[in-house]
Amino acid sequence: MRKLKTVLLFGLLIGVSIAQNPMDFLSPEIKRVGMKLACLCGSCRNSVGDCTMIACGYAFPARQKIKQLQTMGASDQNIAGRFVKEQGKKALIEPETTGFGLLGWLMPGFAIALGLIALGVYIKRFRAPMPAPALPVPSEQLAEYEVTAAKQLDGMEK
Amino acid sequence: MENVGALSLLLAFSVAIFALFSSIVGAWRKNLFLVAASQRAVYLVWLLITTASGLLLYGLIEGDYRLQYVALHANKAMPLMYKITAWWGGQEGSLLFWSWILSCYGAVVVFTNRKQYKTLMPWVIAVLMSTQIFFLILNNFVVPPFQVWAIGKGIIALPDGQGLNPLLQTPSMAIHPPMLYLGYVGFIVPFAFAIASLITKQPGDEWIHTTRRWTLVTWLFQSAGITLGMGWAYYVLGWGGYWAWDPVENASVLPWITATAFLHSVMMQEKKGMMKVWNMVLVSSTFFLCIFGTMLTRSGLVQSVHAFGISSIGNYFATFLAIGISATIWLILDRLDFLKSESHLESVVSRESSFLFNNLVLLASCFAVLWGTLFPVISEAVTGEKISVDAPFFNKVNIPIGLFLLFLTGVGPLVAWRRSSTESLKRNFLWPTISMFALMAGLFGAGIRNEYALLSFGLCLFVTVTILSEFVKGSMAIASKEGMNPLMATIELTHRNTRRYGGYLVHMGIVVMFIGFTGAAFNKDVIHEASLGQSFNIGRYELKVTDLKDGENDNHAWMKASVDVFVNGEKIDTLNPERRIYKASRQPASEVAIRRRLGEDLFLNFAAMATQGQGAVIQAYVFPLVGWIWVGFMGVLIGTLICLVPSKHKLSFPRTEVLATATGVVKGNQHAKA
Repeated sequence: MRKLKTVLLFGLLIGVSIAQNPMDFLSPEIKRVGMKLACLCGSCRNSVGDCTMIACGYAFPARQKIKQLQTMGASDQNIAGRFVKEQGKKALIEPETTGFGLLGWLMPGFAIALGLIALGVYIKRFRAPMPAPALPVPSEQLAEYEVTAAKQLDGMEK
Repeated sequence: MENVGALSLLLAFSVAIFALFSSIVGAWRKNLFLVAASQRAVYLVWLLITTASGLLLYGLIEGDYRLQYVALHANKAMPLMYKITAWWGGQEGSLLFWSWILSCYGAVVVFTNRKQYKTLMPWVIAVLMSTQIFFLILNNFVVPPFQVWAIGKGIIALPDGQGLNPLLQTPSMAIHPPMLYLGYVGFIVPFAFAIASLITKQPGDEWIHTTRRWTLVTWLFQSAGITLGMGWAYYVLGWGGYWAWDPVENASVLPWITATAFLHSVMMQEKKGMMKVWNMVLVSSTFFLCIFGTMLTRSGLVQSVHAFGISSIGNYFATFLAIGISATIWLILDRLDFLKSESHLESVVSRESSFLFNNLVLLASCFAVLWGTLFPVISEAVTGEKISVDAPFFNKVNIPIGLFLLFLTGVGPLVAWRRSSTESLKRNFLWPTISMFALMAGLFGAGIRNEYALLSFGLCLFVTVTILSEFVKGSMAIASKEGMNPLMATIELTHRNTRRYGGYLVHMGIVVMFIGFTGAAFNKDVIHEASLGQSFNIGRYELKVTDLKDGENDNHAWMKASVDVFVNGEKIDTLNPERRIYKASRQPASEVAIRRRLGEDLFLNFAAMATQGQGAVIQAYVFPLVGWIWVGFMGVLIGTLICLVPSKHKLSFPRTEVLATATGVVKGNQHAKA
């Protein structure tokens, strides 16, 4: 019984291995298109072009489809469009630069701009007033300040 | 056993509620008896949760398959280490683990501060216990870990369990989650002190001094957790990717970024009494991002390879976040008068400004990551159609931000506090800048054309020269004054101001990690179906599959390929990538073989059996400089540990004093207060 179990297990291991040869359908042309498409298997964050997941149920059929469409003379853009038509915009690996997808690209820049404005306002508000014209300070008071300043400067960079 | 465990959790829940109310009422009515009772209650909560955790752990180790959690996440064949790992391998167990770490932190905080901060501590306990109650609600009523298998009224025990997910059965996965959780949960301590100081209207520097070490230690745990996760992904997933911008990975890095910003901006408060509101915002954001990250991992809100699956638990987290964030915002706004800045920014060209820019860039990076993570959810909510946001988006947005941050890392030490003169800037920037451009020109001449890689390497040298010059200048001064040799002088210099020079070492570690990240621009990969004895090439390596073996143990069956590695016709190594199939779960997994060197890693994955004859499909990768990431982390670790050592000289930070104004001489800092 145990021997039978072991045989079945190895059968499964070999079967799984042979059935999922990742070399299938991965020519440079297919990889080029595949890199624009997200692998939607749910187990990885790769693209169809670079997914090397064992047992990936999405990337392999997708590559097969890319090969078919390329054989029929479809351009890269048309192939990507075909995937979008079937799967929706989630088929693309990154947002488009049109429509709502554009917002995805713009928001980080917008946030940085907003942060710079906030920083500008902060600096303007908390910047010390320009030094005033020098006023006569009694020499004994000035000496006292100089001693204090020297002590503080000594302590600061220790 | 399961009854005792469940009862312990229920009692812990009740005692935590008591601790919350007794601390609040005790603080309010100045009743020391109630405050003392709340402190004892915190210890009791820890004891009860420890009991429950111990029982679950016992069930996992002993194989009590009457418990659903044990049967779903452990089995007889698993080694002891992975039976323990199963504690945090599933939703119920990991939330109990969260609760347990929180209770440990609570007990340590109460114990170490039992004789100090009499006014702050009751409120610190209140914040800690509020969070503890939330997690105990989950442990008791939403995802209880002590549920049993039952048919009718009879409890049944399965003969064996399903075992832990094979991908989690690695040593790094045994350490990575505890480290990350220690980081996630630990940020509650600085947050609790911050909130307590707001409530008691003492938002001075006391809470910062108290929590500085906590923040550093927690930050270190989280850094370690993130890096171990990267190491796990690199080794286990089979394609060598250490960072895929997965939502759960992003969730771990978000609070790390805000905590890093806090560790920098807190110096502004200590030295200048500035940015008090900002520090409150940062410490609160860090804590809530930790909770948000936990929600993201567990709610199924976003799709992730690391997530625990879809569950209704997200609603509880969303409620907790909504209440917590609203209360914090209200508290900060209500206490704005107590958070006023004590001094002014004297010049835009100053160390203070560099901290402001550092915070801006870190927060920009945090926002970009958060935005990219949530954009699929937002797009689906707004347009009804999900838009994928994967690695290319994050790389395009975050690489420029990261490089600018690297630049600021170099600039910071070169500008003085208060004000830098043009002359000093010229003097300080000269050699770092010359070195940077010289290296970039050299690398361009050597054939490197990737602009980000050129810039990154250049900036890495820029920062390195800056940091080295700081060490050299300081140690030379000590060496000449004290008559020490350069090494002793450097140690003395570091000991005199551990925080500053430890910080520089952390920066150096980050630089080394950046060198490792930059190496990814030159990765190579080949997939080859090789028969026995057949060779193929990748980079400078020639690989020959020489043997195929198989075997099994109690846990899994395996097939192993022997691959000889040649360079210039000379055999330099033999690697043995392996494929496994785990018996209990019937899941396949890869055990990659890596030849690790500082220059580059050769990474082999046994992807499949050859389709014809005897042979194997080998995925071969060359990852240049990837080892520098792990070395760089050691720098971060050592630097942070040095920061934690008290300096030889106690530092004092004199605040700016205004000597004179146009209207006359003003004594002290009356001007700033005005």
